[in-house]
Amino acid sequence: MKLTLNDRLFEVPDGLTVLEAAKRCGVYIPSLCYHHKTGPAGKCRACLVEVEGMRGLQTSCTVQVREGMKVVSNTPRVLAAQRLVIDLLLSSGHHDCLSCEQNGDCELQQAAYYLGIERPTFRIDEEFKLDSSSEFITKDSGKCISCGRCVAGCNKTVVNEVLGFGFRSGSTEIIADDDLPMGSSSCVQCGECVQLCPTGALSDKKAHGQGRYWDLEKVDTTCPYCGVGCQTTLHVDRAKNRIVRVTGREVSPNQGMLCVKGRYAYEFPSHEDRLKYPMIRRNGQHVRVSWDEALDYTADRIRTIVAKHGPDTFSAFGSGRITNENNYAIQKFTRVVVGTNNVDHCART
Amino acid sequence: MTNAIEELQYAKVLFVIGSNTTEAHPVISYYMKRAVKNGSTLIVNDPRKTDLTRWATLHVQHKVGTDIAYINGLIHEIFKNGWAREEFLLNCTENPDQIRESVKDYPVETASEICGVPVETMKQVARILGEAESASVCYTLGITEHICGTDNVKTLANLQMVLGNIGKFAAGLNPLRGQNNVQGACDMGALPNVYHNYQPVDNPAVSEKMAKAWGVESLPQKPGYKMPTMLRKALDGGTRILYCVGDNTIQTEPHMAHTIKEIEALEFFIVCDIFPNITTPYADVIFPDTAWGEEDGTFSNTERRVQRVRRALTPPGEARSHWWVMQELGKRLGKDLGFHSANAVWEDMRKTATSYAGITWERIENIGLQWPCPTLEHPGTGFLHREGKFTRGKGLFSPTKWIPQAEPPDSEYPIVLSTGRRLWHYHSGTQTRNSNGFDNIFGEELLEISPEDAEKLGIRTGDTVKAISRRGSIVLKAWVTDRSAPGVAWCAFHFSEACANVLTIDRFDSVTETAEYKACAIRIEKVSDGELLGVGIRRQARP
Amino acid sequence: MLNQSTIEAIQRKAATYPERESALMPALEMVQRENHNHLTRDMIRDVAELIGVTFAKAYGVATYYSMYNLRPVGKYHLCVDTNIPVYLSGAEAILTHLEQILGIRVGETTADGLFTLSEVEDLGSCGTCPVIMVNDVYYENVTIEKTDALIASLRNGVLPDPVDESYYGTVCSILLKNRGTANAQTLAVYRNRGGYQALSKALTIPPNELLDLVKHATVRGRGGAGFPAGMKWGFLPKNDPRPVYLICNADEGEPGTFKDRQIMQYDPHLLIEGMSIAAHTIGSRKAFIYIRGEFEWIARILEVAIEEAKTAGLLGSLDIVVHRGKGSYECGEETALIESLEGSRGCPRIKPPFPANVGLYGCPTIVNNVETLSCIPYVVEHGAEAFRSVGTLGNYGPKLFGVSGMVNRPGVYEYPLGTPLSTVLAAAGGVKGQLKAVIVGGLSVPILTASEAETLKLDYDSCIKAETMLGSGGIMVMNESVSIPRVALRSIRFYAHESCGQCTPCREGSLVVKRLLKGIVDGHGKTEDIDTILAICDTVIGSTLCPTGDAWGMPIRAMIRKFRHEFESLIR
Repeated sequence: MKLTLNDRLFEVPDGLTVLEAAKRCGVYIPSLCYHHKTGPAGKCRACLVEVEGMRGLQTSCTVQVREGMKVVSNTPRVLAAQRLVIDLLLSSGHHDCLSCEQNGDCELQQAAYYLGIERPTFRIDEEFKLDSSSEFITKDSGKCISCGRCVAGCNKTVVNEVLGFGFRSGSTEIIADDDLPMGSSSCVQCGECVQLCPTGALSDKKAHGQGRYWDLEKVDTTCPYCGVGCQTTLHVDRAKNRIVRVTGREVSPNQGMLCVKGRYAYEFPSHEDRLKYPMIRRNGQHVRVSWDEALDYTADRIRTIVAKHGPDTFSAFGSGRITNENNYAIQKFTRVVVGTNNVDHCART
Repeated sequence: MTNAIEELQYAKVLFVIGSNTTEAHPVISYYMKRAVKNGSTLIVNDPRKTDLTRWATLHVQHKVGTDIAYINGLIHEIFKNGWAREEFLLNCTENPDQIRESVKDYPVETASEICGVPVETMKQVARILGEAESASVCYTLGITEHICGTDNVKTLANLQMVLGNIGKFAAGLNPLRGQNNVQGACDMGALPNVYHNYQPVDNPAVSEKMAKAWGVESLPQKPGYKMPTMLRKALDGGTRILYCVGDNTIQTEPHMAHTIKEIEALEFFIVCDIFPNITTPYADVIFPDTAWGEEDGTFSNTERRVQRVRRALTPPGEARSHWWVMQELGKRLGKDLGFHSANAVWEDMRKTATSYAGITWERIENIGLQWPCPTLEHPGTGFLHREGKFTRGKGLFSPTKWIPQAEPPDSEYPIVLSTGRRLWHYHSGTQTRNSNGFDNIFGEELLEISPEDAEKLGIRTGDTVKAISRRGSIVLKAWVTDRSAPGVAWCAFHFSEACANVLTIDRFDSVTETAEYKACAIRIEKVSDGELLGVGIRRQARP
Repeated sequence: MLNQSTIEAIQRKAATYPERESALMPALEMVQRENHNHLTRDMIRDVAELIGVTFAKAYGVATYYSMYNLRPVGKYHLCVDTNIPVYLSGAEAILTHLEQILGIRVGETTADGLFTLSEVEDLGSCGTCPVIMVNDVYYENVTIEKTDALIASLRNGVLPDPVDESYYGTVCSILLKNRGTANAQTLAVYRNRGGYQALSKALTIPPNELLDLVKHATVRGRGGAGFPAGMKWGFLPKNDPRPVYLICNADEGEPGTFKDRQIMQYDPHLLIEGMSIAAHTIGSRKAFIYIRGEFEWIARILEVAIEEAKTAGLLGSLDIVVHRGKGSYECGEETALIESLEGSRGCPRIKPPFPANVGLYGCPTIVNNVETLSCIPYVVEHGAEAFRSVGTLGNYGPKLFGVSGMVNRPGVYEYPLGTPLSTVLAAAGGVKGQLKAVIVGGLSVPILTASEAETLKLDYDSCIKAETMLGSGGIMVMNESVSIPRVALRSIRFYAHESCGQCTPCREGSLVVKRLLKGIVDGHGKTEDIDTILAICDTVIGSTLCPTGDAWGMPIRAMIRKFRHEFESLIR
């Protein structure tokens, strides 16, 4: 389909909204309430544009691209409308970027930057609630823009059905169950709401103050828990050699969704109790030895016992917890080096 | 899984059995619940009232260990009402008459007496399945962890074949595997009877091929022992060396006291792990392993998708990847295994595995591929047995007969203990309990007791109780909840302080040697009054 | 725990809806009524479990609608309307007086638990105000003296019978033809006066011909938008397997509007007949009347009338359910109304899709105003030409004008569309004092100065030409004593309170404008505040999800533009 966007002609696939098309064409239009998983909501009104032949301003997240459509996102009228929306949102909350966890990855901040809003123009007196009752998720109504992505995510994406909208008009807020503190609600802390939140209203509590978004190295990997194999991104503090945060990748099989373990049980590699050195038992005590010593000793014991009692007295456990490569290495070792098929793993537990 | 995870959200009917999906596979449960929101019928078949039942159209609460009777009853009813897919039976299966005949022993009335599900409910379930365009069966360890686990699975396979639900989108037979790479461990040949890619060790042609590929004269053709046998043989000198990688054996195997005896009987015990646990004290040698996040490699998930894991952290101290340990040990024992990097290991494997031949690390840089994927151009396989074409040709029915659990309850041990996993913890707890916050949410094991049993025993939530089986006893707090059916208690094995496996029975399925973790007999005694634990609200995997 | 009879009543109510969640609001209402007008958290949970919705949803609904009391209220809950029409007739004096004699402030309950005093938005009594709603009984045309008498009676435990006295007039005798007839709300009287003949006739006409008839008659929507009903009906998809729903919008919440209640209260069968014909035309078997919850007694009149008509076999296979709103202006917007009827918070939906295609429960749905539907029997009985002979070109038929504010005989007057404003004002007894300004279509349309109003004709097109709108025909008259900045402030207070809260410009913009106007009225405003307000209004207009942004953006802008000197004069 042909789409003219800010006087430039683009060819875009069928079935896209103007916002999606603009994104593909590399044209930034501020948007907050839209997320591809929760769909168009038309609520924040940040993505207003002019569409030739349509009366008034249109939300680009709700208008489908039609053949030959002409869209403008940079006229004074459009920018004034977008600016008012963002200005009102900044004015109505407590959007202090200085120590906000979302700084650098905040869609509201990005919109404000694009529109050149340095500080909010208006004053709206509201009271804010900081809910840090939950173990892993912080809910800060001062940073909430009522976009509803978390509510849609909780109810339609992960279907945990905990979050909802409570109250009305300027008092509208996100509630957990019947307005319980999140920590005593039925929330299972899957963190989908955090992942969907465009601002810092819902944030990973454990990541607070642990590193700026841009300072953390992003490493894509697979979750180490159940067999679903969720795709995740680790946010790593290289200097401290630890994982600070985990987010879901928006690809198969999990489409960004995770569970409480996959999203929040990530510190164990950095735990001080880790086994760090090879050890041999001597006189009933485990003593630290060098790798060479440990390997020599082990090889010697295997050689001796197998020589005496045959290879089938050797058994190896692979593991459902380690990589394919390591499992393959174990089976090959067992079969090739020791010469037995006694290799198995905990497939049954 | 015969089908892909994401297909579940489009299933017309979801038949979930022996799976506490919301806690053990939360992300899969999201897709299931989404299907319900889109109008699918969800039938949860479980002796426990798991959180998933909240979204279920129907919760069938059959008795522990009666799956075969229950499912055979359904198959009987399906045949009786002409709901069987005769065309599929004729074209895609080998012995349909055998199944038709064998389920005659299980009219719903008979089945109902065994499994405790009302006849009307069974008829209703059979009708839903029979009339559905397609249905997806999902199961987990509630099916396999029985002495009849293999037959349980076969019975479910029979059901799906009778209904023609194999080889279809959003249908199929879907085991939800419990560990991140248990699929991969099988695929990679960490099994006593097959090499990677399920090539049988006792097939001379295979053996010859592998010997050539691996550069050895010959390979042993006698299948090895399975884990329980390996351990059992420690007691008579049949097993002298146990090389144990990433397995907290004492905490996770049934009948803990007995496992300890077996481990103690070993001549040489090598443990490679990331944390000290209750198994490491018995080791003669400990190798510090790299943890997840510290090395490159791949995992294969439950839908056969091979996905990358990456090194993000420097391992602590001198922890090393296991392939390196194997290479070093091999060298010392006179064999260069050729493992120079994790990727080199993968490439070595790929040469001799048709199903993965098309999967390179490069291809799965961004998104994983589902095997079979035989060539570098192959897009991977979403669901198996397309159009009813089974790997072996035609589908084979294996008729099954119900047998009671190994240790039925009696007057001395009147309660059935079933075990499993909780949302907040993972296996022996080495990961979740060494990560911040999880013990704050759920910091000690609780014994789930039905309100009926609790009343009889004078137990309230929070009281300290003792659970006793013929093999041992544990002391823990009680959680009185209708998650448990009368006569059934439940706890998990995450906490070494009060581990279910002290109680569980070391009786195994004869084929897979999977232990009957899901059923043993116990009695419960009250130790002392406790403070009422904070009683939360519905749908929460904690009191 | 809910008691068994309540549970059964809720189950019965739930069975009247195609989808169970629709019973959420009625269920909360029943439970509240049984608990001294108070909903506790436990009760909301019980209802959520019973209906099968999440706690968050039930609580979200209970906190959205203003008539659910999440805090205990006194035995007599006094709700005083202070919206514009009432404001113009001295509501504030009544409220202050009540505060004095009860010794409590707004929002408080007397120590003896007898009285709770609340200030509420428009109660739909603009022609008979000031008004006090006690629990669900309206006391209209109150004065200080009447208020004293009312309180005295309540102290004695007697809820007095309300007195029904209001002005009305008609020159068309179409919509108000039965208004003066005693017991016209009964089926017998209605039929004696020729009622239900149009329905009998309609049932002999094929639906497509009826549709053409209504299309030709050009019955423009009387709810405010003026969109022709026939054309709306024509948008329904053809040969669609889904059921079609008809909804009568009886939410009548636009301040200044109190016309629909004239029909429902005094001539309910006219509406029912109109709905039956409409349902027959569009092939609907299930219809709803969504009536604002404050009109509880009118809802009961409707239910009785529906039962009568049903018993008499007049409705055939049509089922009409009366569904009560619970205090939300926004639910007058048709998609918000549908959301509310589905048991949700009254937040408007994105259009398209339009309700004619995807409406109630995702099915084709027609939403028409009470007055619109009440025009239909006349069209069928007398023909399209007869209807077109009333009114002016393109603006056909009779219209109910509710006149309130500073006139001598506030009330509802039925005149042909196109009648000069001056004629209607004269019918309403003329302006008290000197006309300063007038709002002709309910609070959401731009205000007119006296000179602009002088020659105005009351029809859709003339009003647009005069840069205002006919809207619902709620005419609010202001004389020289009125301060326009105060009117502006009271208006924005209303919209800030009623904004559904889902879209930014309306939710937050109304709060900013309220704050700035408050500053100006209180004497600490700045000149640039006026321009800021104008800039916000300019931008908000046309940029909100539903028309509510326009509904305050346009009138506030017009008040400032036309009476800027009054605002400036408040700035020191």
